[in-house]
Amino acid sequence: MSAGPKALTERGFGALVLAFAIAAPWLVSSYWLDAILIQTLIFGIAAASLIFLSAYGGMISLAQTALVGIAAYLLGNMVTARVPGGETKGLTLGWDPTVGLVLAVVVTTVIGLLFGALAARSLGIYFLMLTLTCGVIANLFFGSVTQFGGFSPIAGVNRYTPGFIGDMVNDRTRLYFIALIVAVAVYLLIRFVLRTPFGLVLQGIRDEPVRMSSLGYNVALHRTLAFGLAAFIAAVAGILLVWWQGQVAPGDLGLPATIQLLVMAVIGGLRRVEGAWLGAFMVIVIDNQVTNNIPSSGLPVIGGSFNTIVGAIFLAIVVVSPDGLLGIWERVWATVRGNRGGKVAMARGSSL
Amino acid sequence: MSRIRQQWKLLVLLATAAVATVAVSASIAATPPGVKLAIMSDCKGAFAFGYELDIGGAQAALAKYAGGKAKNPNKPSAGMTGITIGGTKVDIVGYGCGDDTAPTALKEVRRLMEQLDADVMVGPLSGDEAVVVANYAKDHPDKTFIIGTAGSQDPTMQIAPPNLFRYHGDGAQWNAGIGEIAYRKLGWRKAAIIMDDYSFGWTSAGGIIADFCAVGGQITKRVFPPLNTTDYAPYVRQLPAPGGVDGYFWVVGGTGTGASLTAFEQAYGPLDPKQHIGNLFFAFLGADKVVAPKVVGSYVGGAGTGPGLQTAQAKAYEAALNAVYPKLPANDLFVYNYYNAAWALVQGLTASKGEIGAALQKGMPKTLKTGYSVSNGGMIKLDSRRQAMTDQYQLQLVKNADGSVGPVVVAYVPGVDQSFGGLFKPSSPPPGRTQPACKKVKTPWQGKIREVKNGKITNAVIK
Repeated sequence: MSAGPKALTERGFGALVLAFAIAAPWLVSSYWLDAILIQTLIFGIAAASLIFLSAYGGMISLAQTALVGIAAYLLGNMVTARVPGGETKGLTLGWDPTVGLVLAVVVTTVIGLLFGALAARSLGIYFLMLTLTCGVIANLFFGSVTQFGGFSPIAGVNRYTPGFIGDMVNDRTRLYFIALIVAVAVYLLIRFVLRTPFGLVLQGIRDEPVRMSSLGYNVALHRTLAFGLAAFIAAVAGILLVWWQGQVAPGDLGLPATIQLLVMAVIGGLRRVEGAWLGAFMVIVIDNQVTNNIPSSGLPVIGGSFNTIVGAIFLAIVVVSPDGLLGIWERVWATVRGNRGGKVAMARGSSL
Repeated sequence: MSRIRQQWKLLVLLATAAVATVAVSASIAATPPGVKLAIMSDCKGAFAFGYELDIGGAQAALAKYAGGKAKNPNKPSAGMTGITIGGTKVDIVGYGCGDDTAPTALKEVRRLMEQLDADVMVGPLSGDEAVVVANYAKDHPDKTFIIGTAGSQDPTMQIAPPNLFRYHGDGAQWNAGIGEIAYRKLGWRKAAIIMDDYSFGWTSAGGIIADFCAVGGQITKRVFPPLNTTDYAPYVRQLPAPGGVDGYFWVVGGTGTGASLTAFEQAYGPLDPKQHIGNLFFAFLGADKVVAPKVVGSYVGGAGTGPGLQTAQAKAYEAALNAVYPKLPANDLFVYNYYNAAWALVQGLTASKGEIGAALQKGMPKTLKTGYSVSNGGMIKLDSRRQAMTDQYQLQLVKNADGSVGPVVVAYVPGVDQSFGGLFKPSSPPPGRTQPACKKVKTPWQGKIREVKNGKITNAVIK
């Protein structure tokens, strides 16, 4: 089946973005590469796990940030060592970094399956609250149980990486390409899963859970498995995050971080997985620019909080386009093509 | 014809690109050489009120010793111009906006040091942020970091990168002497301690425990409410009842100080000032309105500053500070510590002749004449891990003539080092829930703490 003009345009645009991403280390400053683009890729992966559940499973999860943090904490506790000048927080087990990497991803995925099993039978606001509860428990656990780190950060985690990963402290271009490869792999994985029988059933459950159940599909099991896959993706983001930051602290899985990830997904567009990276990029750039420019601009900061300004910008985007930035694209396309059924086209696109 | 037009377009494009390249190169070439300085503080979170205090403290020193001109004497963050050290121009390229959490601290340090390309940073404000900065410094040896105000021990004890300097005491040092005062002046032998469950809480409590146990006191119970606890009743109930111990040490900060004392009142009745000693949270950081009036007469652990100290050096410092920023409280720990950090930087850059990196780090002063220093010729001294050995002042809350409640200096503790006479070591675990253990040891200042009366250090030793 040949692709339509919209799909062709999107693929062309996607190829351009990918080409820019590959060339970025030679095009942008080292700060932009490190602080903006790597961060975009990592939070984009985390937001993709949220959008995957939302767009294709009908579940808006507030536990994804916690899963990112759990993976980071597990890795930090397992690989750091208590040596002179070394880390002092957490278990400091000093295990082999490869073993730590695999275990952190596997254990986080298992925890994600448990979260999913708990929440899979609920819907809407109840699902939201259950996943939020899981996230808050994780935050309080790592913030309060000092053996696992406590309030202070576990730092220096990026000094303990497997040999095949290389130096994550000094070679930030290498980290960028690793994050880029993982981001592309996650994108392709989600696209692939959606075309499998499991993915099709998941989308059926999203649209008609009762009908799918009456057809004999185990709705709760499919939702739990989807949550497990999303947890795996979040775990990968967590590993990259702790390599990028070098540290992990309770703030990485706190409520503000949870809301920030949700905002990224909403800004990008909750209906398509591509929105994850677009939303992450927008949020990170806006946050960076506001922090850089507002204090020196002499503008009065409403309520003394930078977050107020950042929030106002987000509000404006959401008011203009409730479907996020990708929603604007859908509308523009519909207008150009004289197609008034933009939402229909979008819903169709979302099932791909 | 169309081919010619295309060639013209290409030519115009190339010419534009060339002009733009030359313009950008010219603008880069026109950038004056100098040192790029960043000041890191908190503008969000629990310590957001420290933003202007920190910036003001640092900039006042730059005004006094490096010719800086404040843009607005009532708002330090408005900026400062004209800073020159030994002929080298110093530009303040940015102010860091932390929120007392590690992730934001890291984000802000990166923004300042990488995006704004600062060579030197003065800051941060709090303990966990300093742990972040110390780890960042380890990975960026060409940049220089001078901690603004931070009480955690790890940055200069366990992590201690060679490009990180701290010209004030850590949270444990600030409390040197307060345990001995409890033991000798109040007659405490057994005490309980309640401490915030994070690095500053542990470090601050570590100083109290080490000092109290060093003279023979016993800590019979340690309680750890998580940071940002709102209901302290369960934690206060874990403390022994007033008959079970001689007194209580409080290391609970932020809104928790007042809330935890109220919970104690509700559980065990009115507070007896002779039974309660607090760390700096009883006297500083907004304590004067709610907390201090509850415990007038209590002794309070210090923060390295000497409120009301009547020495020529203290008066000179206070005058210099207020000449630049008249509304800043000179004896505030944020103001004072950032002032000293910036002054040390001025001396370092003078010694390095404006060079940054390793030359600056080599040139950073090993001693520093600071406002409230008395021993060692009025100088603080850096140890081998670039951590200050410095005098400390212990305080008491008193009612002023106008009815307000505030701290006055009652004890002078000379030359306090970070190791507490060898109790804390780089190889030993940093302060935690069970660290340090309660041990009777000989601290260098034991038996040498002198009474301070009406702001004057007397020869009378506290017995």
